[in-house]
Amino acid sequence: MIAKQTLSLLLNTGRTIKQGISMEAEGKLSEAYADAVARIELNEDDMKALGITDGSLVEVISKEGSIKIRAFRSKEVKRGHAYVPMGPWANMIVDPQTMSLGMPNYKYTIINVRPSEGKPTSLIEILAHYNAIIPTEIEDIELRGGSQKVYEYMVCPFCGELCDHLKLEVVGNEIKKVIGGCANSVSKLRNYHKHRILRPLIREGGHFREVSLEEALRRAARILSSAKYPLLFGWSSTVNEAIRVGVELAEILRGVIDNTSVVCHGPTALGAQDVGTARSTLGIIRHKADYIVIWGSNPSASHQNHFSLWIFSRGKWIKGRKNRKVVVIDVRETPAARLADELVRVEPGKDYELITALRMAVRDLDIELPSVAGVPTETIYRLADEMKSAKYGVIFEGMGITMTGAKHRNVEELIKLAHDLNEWTRFVLIPMRGHYNVTGSDNVFLWTTGYPFGIDFSRGYPRMVPGVTTAPDLLMRGEVDAALIISSDPVAHFPKRAVEHLSKIPVITIDPKWSLTATISDVIIPSGIVGVECGGTAYRLDDVPLRIKSILPPPPGVLCDDEILRRLLEMVKEYRNEGGRKRGEGYS
Amino acid sequence: MTEFLIKNGHVYDPANGIFGDLMEIAVKDGIIVNPSELSPNPKVIDAGGGIVAPGGIDIHSHIAGPKVNTGRLIKPEDHIGTCKPASNGLRSQVGRSVPNVFKIGYGYAIMGYTTVAEAASPPLEARHTHEEMNDIPIIDKLTYIIADSNWLLLDYLVDGRGDLIEAYVAWLLRATKGYGIKIVDPGADWAWLHGKGMGIDIDYELPEYGISPKDILLGLGEAVEHLKLPHPIHVHCNRLGYPGNYETTLKTIELSNKYSKGLERPAMHVTHTQFTGYKGDSWITLGSGGEDIAKEVERTDSSVDLGQLVFGPTITMTADAPFEFVLYHLERGKWSFADIEAETSAGIVPYVYRKRNYVNTVQWCIGLEVALLVRDPWKVYITTDHPNAGPFTKYPEIMALLMSKKMREDFMKDLNQVALGRASLPSISRELSLEEIMIMMRASPARLLGMKFKGHLGEGAQADIAIYDLNPEKVDVHHDYEEVIKAFSRAKYTLKDGEIVVKDGEIVRELYGTTFYTDPKVPEDSIREVEKGLKEKFPKYYSISLSNYVIGEDELRKGRVVS
Repeated sequence: MIAKQTLSLLLNTGRTIKQGISMEAEGKLSEAYADAVARIELNEDDMKALGITDGSLVEVISKEGSIKIRAFRSKEVKRGHAYVPMGPWANMIVDPQTMSLGMPNYKYTIINVRPSEGKPTSLIEILAHYNAIIPTEIEDIELRGGSQKVYEYMVCPFCGELCDHLKLEVVGNEIKKVIGGCANSVSKLRNYHKHRILRPLIREGGHFREVSLEEALRRAARILSSAKYPLLFGWSSTVNEAIRVGVELAEILRGVIDNTSVVCHGPTALGAQDVGTARSTLGIIRHKADYIVIWGSNPSASHQNHFSLWIFSRGKWIKGRKNRKVVVIDVRETPAARLADELVRVEPGKDYELITALRMAVRDLDIELPSVAGVPTETIYRLADEMKSAKYGVIFEGMGITMTGAKHRNVEELIKLAHDLNEWTRFVLIPMRGHYNVTGSDNVFLWTTGYPFGIDFSRGYPRMVPGVTTAPDLLMRGEVDAALIISSDPVAHFPKRAVEHLSKIPVITIDPKWSLTATISDVIIPSGIVGVECGGTAYRLDDVPLRIKSILPPPPGVLCDDEILRRLLEMVKEYRNEGGRKRGEGYS
Repeated sequence: MTEFLIKNGHVYDPANGIFGDLMEIAVKDGIIVNPSELSPNPKVIDAGGGIVAPGGIDIHSHIAGPKVNTGRLIKPEDHIGTCKPASNGLRSQVGRSVPNVFKIGYGYAIMGYTTVAEAASPPLEARHTHEEMNDIPIIDKLTYIIADSNWLLLDYLVDGRGDLIEAYVAWLLRATKGYGIKIVDPGADWAWLHGKGMGIDIDYELPEYGISPKDILLGLGEAVEHLKLPHPIHVHCNRLGYPGNYETTLKTIELSNKYSKGLERPAMHVTHTQFTGYKGDSWITLGSGGEDIAKEVERTDSSVDLGQLVFGPTITMTADAPFEFVLYHLERGKWSFADIEAETSAGIVPYVYRKRNYVNTVQWCIGLEVALLVRDPWKVYITTDHPNAGPFTKYPEIMALLMSKKMREDFMKDLNQVALGRASLPSISRELSLEEIMIMMRASPARLLGMKFKGHLGEGAQADIAIYDLNPEKVDVHHDYEEVIKAFSRAKYTLKDGEIVVKDGEIVRELYGTTFYTDPKVPEDSIREVEKGLKEKFPKYYSISLSNYVIGEDELRKGRVVS
């Protein structure tokens, strides 16, 4: 008989290596993906207190809902904390509160955990909650043999690192080998042909019906044109050529366009709006950075080549890893922490306090407490001294900064810390941007609208009001009445309440693969995969622009994102004209 | 086939010696033709007795690229009071000092400008600059490429092989689809990488390399002249923004005579000279070096643009990263900077120019003094170094200030009187003529850019034409300055490539112009040697692959080579 004890814990969510690989290789509807993300990691002592062992089923309850998942022991997690990989399970319970910033509390949710019996919550159950249709058959592109070709200096379409040194060996239409890529990259590219959507689909009754591209686009255009306030969301895993068409579409529709920054580095942009930036390109880090801080980021899972390219490598003034001091500041002992010289464990949600204390220490001000945010004051003074005496320092900043506690205020304070340090030495702050072109997406939005994300066109001109014009808030408040989702999967990555509204309004999905969002969509338009079948420009996390090349044609009848959007835009213009409205004029 | 006959206009075509004559201009398929080539009943544009002139050319304006976009990021308040919704097939417009791409294109066209040069692009991020320029409607564009702190170039300068410097410059412009070579506080960004570089002079010894800014200026100046590039080295002088810097500017300008090859255009262009024309040894004693600079420009094979100050809020952005660090300490507001591997750095600081401020008034005087004291209008250009000294939308006001002593007097009433008491501007009585203004805005910039098909209305010229509702026979430009500002702020017509894009100060048609770049010819041997060197050094210096650095012709919406 299991002791029915309940523990109150603090939930953190995020990427894991397995989550990334399984998502790319097998798809989110797979067993492998469920195995990778439907789990909770707990501290050994907490497991003992609960009277459970590795693999025991637990019920995890928050004020948003509850799920049953298996618990596993993890040395990375401190007592009192819990970790669930990002995904649909985590999102059933995360605190959706955005504090008017667009960013839910993905890394700060109070949960109760208690031993449970029976079956774990299945993805089918979760999706049933959203009235999804699970495709019965998921197709792969048929691999045909053929001649072998080798492509060099290919740009990888996975993370913001945008590695441009990949070598691809291709036989016919099969990518046989990916040389120079990380596990995520290999997984994405070698499995590009799997779980594809190959024909446009329209939801009718309880299933999807195959239709022509023309019909799908017409339906999509009609949905968008007749909506009062549509949301166009995604834009971080496609090329700039598509994004700029998206902005025009949002402008004509007088809707909202938002990208995944809102649930990623949106707070970084908000911080920059308030105080500025302190940036460098990654080459500078390789050449010159002798002091490296990784704060709230785990590149070992999210940006797997990061260490080898910029930290272990040799530069003009730095011979290699031994010439650099690497400090990880995190709440967990992440895999990245194991590659560092020092792990500084900050209490969850208290990064702001620690950064402020560091700024004080840098200026030799007295800190009257023995410790701040769980870090001894003497450690803080030592770190400040080390930073000031570095030749060139960098802070790589991740979701641990943007998703917790003071969110954008954390970033603001961190940028000011970097600014302050430039009085003594050179110091920069580089955000670890996730999706391969989320940086490009911010940039295109900026040059077309003056704002980086969360842009509303209801008045005909761009406005950005965080918490008001940002996708999670708009969905949770039920303000948008139709959605176009491109190259993104909010059903997998938005909090439950936001997905619930999404499942109630007409949704158009443009994606090469079966995403969870596709399963709740009314129109699904397949697209080519960027980096294999489609090309265009994308920006690296340090703002360096690169040209992504295509090496294979998209499947028959499938177009690239930019072409799909151009056709959609034309049709929307036609509908608008039919309805007697000219471009740019909204509904009265 | 579009044909137009522009009638009833006072034509100003300084390059062809036409100043205000009443004559007809014929346009066919985007170029200017002899009226006899038109079909019998062409569409007639009635200029209504106004001015007909070639489209305006701005030789220095920060309109696209990573700096501009970061400016947009950190200054959302720039939108306040500027928003214009999308309507009539046009895109929405926002922003004052860092407007969105649409407002930039429309804004220039409305003033009758049809060609704008982006002032500084880091080579590694030139692709970004081109992407933004692709999205700027109507105007033709081109970009200068920053080269002075480029490690590969510094290596070649130390080696002292002129042929390789030239070949590398040629390769760099080809790879980045750039138009000219930009030098920004020469060598300062290399020093800044080491935490140095604040206020360095032209004899400063660069860390590790041991060469000086002067060596960079001479090396690049010589290479550009020898390659006969359409545009000379475009120089932002050392010590920009520091009291007493006019001496550095004089020393820099003087260098142009050392390597000049007597090409049609000047051998050196010194930009936004207002920021580099300070006398005095502190902010309190700041004075104007405008007169000395004007003399030196006349004496040498060089030209200058103003960087004329405009009062009000704006944002400063430059590859002079160490100076922005200094400015951040003066202003204590927001600050952005970025270091670009192996090439350059940049800094951005929002700033407000205040009328009652002593320093700002001195700055305002310097720009105007330079414009009024350089006697030869072919050597001086109107700019605001947009957005550094103010937004480009204020050009009509500056033209009016230069043409009207009365306007200057009226304007000076609100300024800092102590500064005016020490300045020579109040005693300058020269008033530029309409002819001179037309040279400075149109004919002369085309010559400085080496574009024979621009800046004039002769047969075969590109049909970029501005028509202003200002009858020079009826309006006294020296007196009725408000009329002048009104007319030049909103063109009666703007024609771009022979199509009407502006009518009565409103955009009536959206089209996209051309991006110009240069592709200089160099001996095969030297280019091969450079390419060999690049294969070895590029992977060491850069974080991306050499082949991905090169921008393809297909990445430009519409590209055209000028040689």
